[in-house]
Amino acid sequence: MNKKYHWPGESRFLGYLYILPGVVIYLLFVLYPVLETVRTSFYRWDGFTVNRTFIGLQNYRQLLIDSQFLQALSHNLIFIIFYSIIPIVLGIILASLLGRRRLPGMTFFRAGLFLPQVISMVVVGVMWRWIFNPVFGPLNAFLKMVGLNSLARPWLGDFNLALPSVGIIGTWVMYGFCMVLFLAGMQRIPEDYYEAAELDGANEVQQLRYITLPSLRPEFGVALITTIIAALRVFDLVYVLTRGGPGDRTLVVAFLVYRAAFQQNRIGYAAAVATVLTLIILLISFLILRFQSRSEE
Amino acid sequence: MKKVALQVLVLGLIVMLLLTACAPAATPTAEPTKAPEEAQPAPTQAEPAQPPAETVTLVVWDQYARDVESEVMNQINKEFEEAHPGVKIERVVKSFDDLKTTIKLALGQPDGPDVAQVNQGQDMVAIVAGDLLLPLDDYATKYKWREIFPESLNSRNSATATGFGQGNLYGMSVTAEFVGVYYNKGMFEKYGWKLPTTFDEFTKLLADIKAAGETPITFGDLDGWPGIHTFSSVQHVLVDVDYINNFTYGLNNVSFDIPENREAAKIVQGWAKDGYFTDGFMGIGYDDSLKIYKSGQGALMITGTWAAGEFVTDTDQKFGNFLMPQKTVDTPQLAIGGVGLPFCIRKGTKNADLAAEYINFLVSPRAAQLWAEKGMLPAAPLPADYKVEEGTLLADQVAAWGTLLKSNGIGHYIDWATLTMYDTLNAELQKLFAGETTPEQFTAAIQADYAKR
Amino acid sequence: MRSWARLIPNYFLLTLFLLVVILPILGIVLSAFKTNQEIAKGPFSLPARLNFDNFVGAWVAGHFNNYFRSSVIVSTVTVAVSVFLSILLGYAFGILSFPGQNLIYAVLLIGFMVPFEAVVIPLYHFLNRLGLVNTYWALILPQIGQSISFGTLWMTSFFRTAPQELVDASAMDGCNRWQTLWHVLWPLAKPAVLTLVVLFFMWTWNEFLLALIMVQDDRLRTLPVGLAFFQGRYVADIPRMAAGSIIVAGPIVLVYVLFQRYFIRGLLGGAIKG
Repeated sequence: MNKKYHWPGESRFLGYLYILPGVVIYLLFVLYPVLETVRTSFYRWDGFTVNRTFIGLQNYRQLLIDSQFLQALSHNLIFIIFYSIIPIVLGIILASLLGRRRLPGMTFFRAGLFLPQVISMVVVGVMWRWIFNPVFGPLNAFLKMVGLNSLARPWLGDFNLALPSVGIIGTWVMYGFCMVLFLAGMQRIPEDYYEAAELDGANEVQQLRYITLPSLRPEFGVALITTIIAALRVFDLVYVLTRGGPGDRTLVVAFLVYRAAFQQNRIGYAAAVATVLTLIILLISFLILRFQSRSEE
Repeated sequence: MKKVALQVLVLGLIVMLLLTACAPAATPTAEPTKAPEEAQPAPTQAEPAQPPAETVTLVVWDQYARDVESEVMNQINKEFEEAHPGVKIERVVKSFDDLKTTIKLALGQPDGPDVAQVNQGQDMVAIVAGDLLLPLDDYATKYKWREIFPESLNSRNSATATGFGQGNLYGMSVTAEFVGVYYNKGMFEKYGWKLPTTFDEFTKLLADIKAAGETPITFGDLDGWPGIHTFSSVQHVLVDVDYINNFTYGLNNVSFDIPENREAAKIVQGWAKDGYFTDGFMGIGYDDSLKIYKSGQGALMITGTWAAGEFVTDTDQKFGNFLMPQKTVDTPQLAIGGVGLPFCIRKGTKNADLAAEYINFLVSPRAAQLWAEKGMLPAAPLPADYKVEEGTLLADQVAAWGTLLKSNGIGHYIDWATLTMYDTLNAELQKLFAGETTPEQFTAAIQADYAKR
Repeated sequence: MRSWARLIPNYFLLTLFLLVVILPILGIVLSAFKTNQEIAKGPFSLPARLNFDNFVGAWVAGHFNNYFRSSVIVSTVTVAVSVFLSILLGYAFGILSFPGQNLIYAVLLIGFMVPFEAVVIPLYHFLNRLGLVNTYWALILPQIGQSISFGTLWMTSFFRTAPQELVDASAMDGCNRWQTLWHVLWPLAKPAVLTLVVLFFMWTWNEFLLALIMVQDDRLRTLPVGLAFFQGRYVADIPRMAAGSIIVAGPIVLVYVLFQRYFIRGLLGGAIKG
């Protein structure tokens, strides 16, 4: 970068002064704990006493056969459907239906659709626990009102429905985000692309396929990373709604970490789970970014 | 202006960071209150304003969070403060879950609670292993606490670093608890049902209630733990007191995978299949289930004495209570039970003597009377001249407690057995109730957790 | 007016999607004004009058006054420090040049990807050794660490696009680097910084896991954790839960309504740059 150069008489280490405070805090409270988590994952430790026993890869080996961990991980993967795929599909459908027209009042809709993004997940959880409440909540009350009694369920306590019920909340949180993201992306596509396509006789579907979708590639990348990471990190919702139940049906990896580390005193094991979770997240982010930058070339 | 303030703030932060990073233990920095040493109590960092020297504040954590219980605790604290000028009780109320989650971490803090309720069993063992609690044996001698409860109950509040049920005494309980069966008196009168005296009669009663078109048992298992009480109530009918003791204390290599437990699992699963529980019980939280039962829906409810206060306030229904009947009339009565979470003293507190004095008041006849007046079963003896009103829910429970003491039939919460048992039982019982697993799979899964101990 | 008619399906669609978002929120807002008797009548009844008892109940008996204070303190300090440090970091990486620049930059960015789950366990024991557990610092410092990771990315990309002529001109005028930052570039940076402010505020205000673990003292709890435990105590008391939820979400929604342009730009744009 040619614009970066040293001013006359300036130490080449001047930049360190500017980054020092931030880097120190970052090293102490982010990087060091991350490395320490990895180290802890090779030990057996109860968190209270001083006896830490080095046990090598044993925690990881145990994790591979721990049906709870595998279940939790599979639930996180299922959440990707709810947090990621459904919202992205909904978002792209809406964006393509609305097309490129500028709608008066769009700011209002955009603000509304985006609202769940800014509300604490604990509040979202409390809200939906009320909605799903089989006795006092509106969902079953509504079903009974319109004569669909047979569809009323103990949602969060039902073995087959608990996971989709928690998942659908993720859809609720994420779809507005995806819609706004894609709508914003569409504004960027030059109008003459479409005009040229129309001259060539391309229909709406072809325009969507050959102009809109390829142009929205950066937005796809963003939507995927953001929503997939959110799906893998679900914690607050499960903490407030189900604590992993019924059975282990809504158990997720982050809750497993919390429970093992802070309630069951299995610190080493919890650290191993946390390490694996982090690796998965980094790997997925990396893959999407790679894919993205390659396709841009 | 703002910029300058920011710079100062950041600078201060960095100075503090650098200093604490190099020498965590002793840092005479500009920071006003820094814990000098972990083991030693230090002034709280949270509260900049120190109380004047002559008042002493005792921080007490309890989990009597429901409205009625909470009122009783407030009254007890008020009377203690009146009797001890210059003492202020700072009460922190937590739900059981909240307490269970935070207490281990809080007791390790130099500004943690002076007095706190601690869950018995492996929770207490872990905390004792962390050397966070003060042994109370000297205070017990001084205040004659061991005379208040039979030794079998005191042992539940005793622990060592490796096991519980023996070792030093670490806490005193203020309420007695057993899990019994509540019944709706109005409904029983209306249909002419009789109280069962054997477990067979109880089973028959459930069928009668169902046939009459009522919900036999009000139940909500969304939170998981109420299922433990439902299952274990039946379990306590089928096994004997020695088995329950051995299992809970981890003695004599007993197994969970035994015919009696499979039978109990089969029975409660059958109740769920036959529609004996509240419709949609898997999605109903415990507190909601109390609300439903209070409103008159459901003939019976299997839960602990702690709920009694709720059933005598804000309701137009009348409730009674009986112990889960045994196999025959002559079988010695056994029920899940014990004493409420004990009040313990944090090892690092400066106010240990005062804390003990406070606990002594908690187990006094006066405090017992305050509990009884609100319809709750106290652990400590009531004043000699205090009579429980006949025909009340409390009278039923006082009588039942007497029966249990006489038959040496106070069982256990089986989730004490291992540190993970609470979570495992919650999850496995939800599976059992929903018909996701068989009774055989259930007992095998619990045994698998138990064997890891 | 043909074009208006063509827009009707569009508005219909948007309204539909919007209603799905708004109705649950509206339901909980209504519940907050009901009495428990009114709740028993069913979820679709309207409250008889605007009754603020539940808010008072949550605020005082539910200790939301404490939680609110904690949230304000933690958020204010975290946001102020994080934004300030992010500006310095962005300036250093975007304008200045120093040895090891690219490596340090890359290391800083990892933090943005790392979930808190990966750091809380040792962080708890580390802060415990420092005597900082159960203080606001235990919430503020790690949150700053994580925030400035994104802040570095955001401000660096801003400073990289800052007009070079301005920087050169300020050197001619005899400004030093510090003065150049605050006198020359700062006016341009304001919109980017405002975006950071609202994003940091939102993240800190809503943070849950850290606050759940690092603080056990009820008086120091922040709003989301306070609400979660409030639920443990009053789970059957729907109106009070609803009132508590509104106290938690209210401030952030207010900030959002005022600055929604910056929010949306931050969340969309920030991610694209990543």
